[in-house]
Amino acid sequence: MSILATKDTHVVIQGGVAGVNAARRMAEFRYMIKQPLNVSAFVYPPDAGKTNEIICGTELIMIPIYKTVAEATANHPEINTSLVYIGADRAYAGTMEALNDPHIKTVSMITEGVPEKDAKLLGKHARKLGKTFNGPSSIGVVSAGECRLGVIGGAFDNLVACKLYRPGSFGVITKSGGLSNEIIWICSQFADGITTAIGIGGDAYPGTDYVSYLEMFENDPQTKAVVIVGEMGGDLEERAAEWYGAKKRRIKLLAVVSGFCQESLPKGMKFGHAGAKEGLKGEGSARAKSEALKKSGAIVPDTFGALGPAIKATHEELLKSGQVKPIPDLAAPDMPRLPKTVQESMKEGEVLVTPLIRSTISDDRGDEPLYQGYPASELINNGYDIPHVIGLLWDNRLVSKQEAEIIKRIIMLSADHGPCVSGALTTIIAACAGIGLSQAVAAGMIMIGPRFGGAVTDAGRWFKYAIDNKLSVDDFLVYMKKNVGPVPGIGHRVKSLKNPDKRVKELVGYVKSLNMATPHLDFALEVEKITAVKKDNLILNVDGTMAAVLVDIGFPVDSLNGFFILSRTIGMIGHWTDQKRQGSRLIRLFDYLVNYASPKRREVPPLK
Amino acid sequence: MAKVLEGPGMGLLRKWGISTPNYAVVTSSEEFDQLSQVNDWLQKNKLVVKAHEALGSRFKLGLVKVGLDLAAAKAAVREMLGKKLETLTIKQVIVSEAVDHKEEYYAAAKSTRDGVDLLVATCGGIEVESNWDKVKHVSIETGETLSDSALSSLVKDAGFSGDTAAKMAEFLKKLYACFDNEDAQYVEVNPVVLSVKGELMALDAVTLLDGDAKFRHKDWTFPFAAEFGRAYTKNEEEVMAVDAKVKGSVKLIEIPGGNIAMLPAGGGASVYYSDAVVARGGKLANYAEYSGDPPDWAVEVLTEKVCSLPGIKHIIVGGAIANFTDVKKTFGGIINAFRKAKEEGKLEGVKIWVRRGGPNELQGLAAMRALQDEGFDIQVFDRKTPLTDIVDMAMAAK
Repeated sequence: MSILATKDTHVVIQGGVAGVNAARRMAEFRYMIKQPLNVSAFVYPPDAGKTNEIICGTELIMIPIYKTVAEATANHPEINTSLVYIGADRAYAGTMEALNDPHIKTVSMITEGVPEKDAKLLGKHARKLGKTFNGPSSIGVVSAGECRLGVIGGAFDNLVACKLYRPGSFGVITKSGGLSNEIIWICSQFADGITTAIGIGGDAYPGTDYVSYLEMFENDPQTKAVVIVGEMGGDLEERAAEWYGAKKRRIKLLAVVSGFCQESLPKGMKFGHAGAKEGLKGEGSARAKSEALKKSGAIVPDTFGALGPAIKATHEELLKSGQVKPIPDLAAPDMPRLPKTVQESMKEGEVLVTPLIRSTISDDRGDEPLYQGYPASELINNGYDIPHVIGLLWDNRLVSKQEAEIIKRIIMLSADHGPCVSGALTTIIAACAGIGLSQAVAAGMIMIGPRFGGAVTDAGRWFKYAIDNKLSVDDFLVYMKKNVGPVPGIGHRVKSLKNPDKRVKELVGYVKSLNMATPHLDFALEVEKITAVKKDNLILNVDGTMAAVLVDIGFPVDSLNGFFILSRTIGMIGHWTDQKRQGSRLIRLFDYLVNYASPKRREVPPLK
Repeated sequence: MAKVLEGPGMGLLRKWGISTPNYAVVTSSEEFDQLSQVNDWLQKNKLVVKAHEALGSRFKLGLVKVGLDLAAAKAAVREMLGKKLETLTIKQVIVSEAVDHKEEYYAAAKSTRDGVDLLVATCGGIEVESNWDKVKHVSIETGETLSDSALSSLVKDAGFSGDTAAKMAEFLKKLYACFDNEDAQYVEVNPVVLSVKGELMALDAVTLLDGDAKFRHKDWTFPFAAEFGRAYTKNEEEVMAVDAKVKGSVKLIEIPGGNIAMLPAGGGASVYYSDAVVARGGKLANYAEYSGDPPDWAVEVLTEKVCSLPGIKHIIVGGAIANFTDVKKTFGGIINAFRKAKEEGKLEGVKIWVRRGGPNELQGLAAMRALQDEGFDIQVFDRKTPLTDIVDMAMAAK
């Protein structure tokens, strides 16, 4: 048995991220005691209609999110408890909504910083309805072996260490969240553990107090003793003392009160909890509370440290009188355990996982990316440049200074070629249609292919084929004509011998000025000599030149189109931002630019 | 609770229709000169000048001057502004009009468990202290309204009669409206005076508001004042600024003269740690706590301030077994600040005592323990050591 949170508790959680986190902790508890999750629904208007994913053991459970408490309880009529994880400014309205729902009997509020007036109104409303309003600022409620409301009890290991998988004999009521956990731990080490532990919150006027729960514990036969952890301020401890002393009680009461230090500290000082403050006239002091509790017959150790031995003594008495029986500890192999994640198992060397992909270029697992093992920042600090990164990521090697310079020039020369070419024009049309940057650039990128910019790889492939097979220019042209078609990298839409491409001249001039072997470039230029004679515009174009040079410095054929794609991306981004900057409007082709060669208007025949 | 200084406190009373004498909060003599040129009341009346700071016993410190003419008031303003006291410099004074009056009364409203108590007495000023039996009250239950009949029987019961009774009932009605609507927790008007013109006025007000309700009072533009008879220190204000920004909380109050520095976790446990120090005859150098899984940098700021406390011999890094505060992460913040403080020579001869449990406790405690290798004088204990035993050990070690 237990109080407040039991095996029959079914929960709706009101709130966002913090509520989801609480549900995950609650799921861990339910997994520990081998019970299904007891969170039926969430109420969080911004995400209404979606679901939250809660890990419960080895399962992923989808819990629906509703806009209102009424919707949640209509769909899940088993709900009888609400946990409030809503911000302080909206907590009042949310809690009222829960209290007013006929299905809900208990509301526990974790929200801190709730205005005192709101808390008082909520407490009064709950009492009027005969419901329990726990909090504000409550860490939650946990009943060993049955139910956990909120994150009380902490991490899974702690739940197990505190033996929360099975009931003991001690009830716990605290204002402080951290101390509730501490007392749960003490009860499990010095005695047989807890039945139910409740955080009532540290506010001045909590919705329910020690007395509310002492009454419940008194009526719970499993609970033999109750530990309360109080602090200065207010009169809750005095009221507990009054209740305990009023008549003979079945349960034993143990209590400690903090705040004796107030006697030697500045009056009016603010401690951690809103309610932890002596009155203006010194009422509610720790001493007065301790005295009242002692007088009522409660066991009141002088210090928090003496609480453990006091709990132990109480437990021994209970054992001696036969009111409780010793509970054997679980053997280590029977201890509940959370399923391990794949990462955890791998770390412990328990499983072998076949990797899905293999990467030979970079590693992101440290504090910065490594390119072929070199930290990016160290490359920067050692004077390396973008072409070196390209070399590392495209060809797994550090290129030389001279090679880097060639790559840089290639990128600069092919970065853009004005608005009219296929790629730029497409990007511009997309920009004018209001399409976003990445999509518009991707549209332009789609144009790169055999007829526009995409011939670099093919050009490189065939020049390399010729050199590798020691073909003469004539043999090469015959081979190409027979097997491939027009030579990739040769020919231009507008440029010709008379109107040469300055970019080609520039690149060829630079590379030839270097003292390096350029067999592919030399071969390509020989090919041009013959083709250009046949037809004026069959010149070595920029794709072909790049291809020959890049093969000369050793780049793999498959990477070659990348140089054009990379370079031209710079231009396409430029065209998109240019249109954006100007606020360009939607454009369309003028009909006089179209040759309408389709059939003239005619009659539609009857459908057969 | 959040204390409000007299100026904004009077402002709230006026907002709800309660008469107060004319007053002005000034921050410089020049400003006061300017004000006196345009405000008749400053020229025609006797004036009261008071330091407008969170200070106890202003009278004793000579920071309240009464019965002044304008010239004397100017002199008083000049004298008080910029005056340095132990814990603060006076930056504001409040100048108010002295009100000729025959009678002084007492009125207050305070929050109770069940609602609000409205208190009233026919004696006011310091007299009320020795005549507490004359103070009568009516309780208004949470969510109920204050009835006129309850009010009139209250004032009658307190000994008011005739015209004054009606005026006092009206005054209390406004006081309650102010209290209720402004999310107050305590408002004491002492004295309420009956001016020679026959008007009830609030001459002084102690106002405590519910700081948690600030979100629905956009006109609370005034800062809250410390409630313990001194102004906040720079360190305290800096920690409050961090506290206001982060999830969870970090808190610091400095206590000059102590040598045991406190850096415990948890609103509840922190008080038990303070108790343990006091119980063993130690002198606290501060109160502090962090809780609710605050970010590591916030704990780091708090730790820096704690390490900077003068003359400390021990630092108590205590804490219960946390529910959801990540021990590894928050200890990371503490460790960063410890290292910085050590580099700056602040931890010379300081012993550090750690006890903690909670999520990732093994890693957090191990990281703390590793500080021993860096030359820190640090002892680290886990959940098996009872909560405040580190205080006992620290006190035994000195």
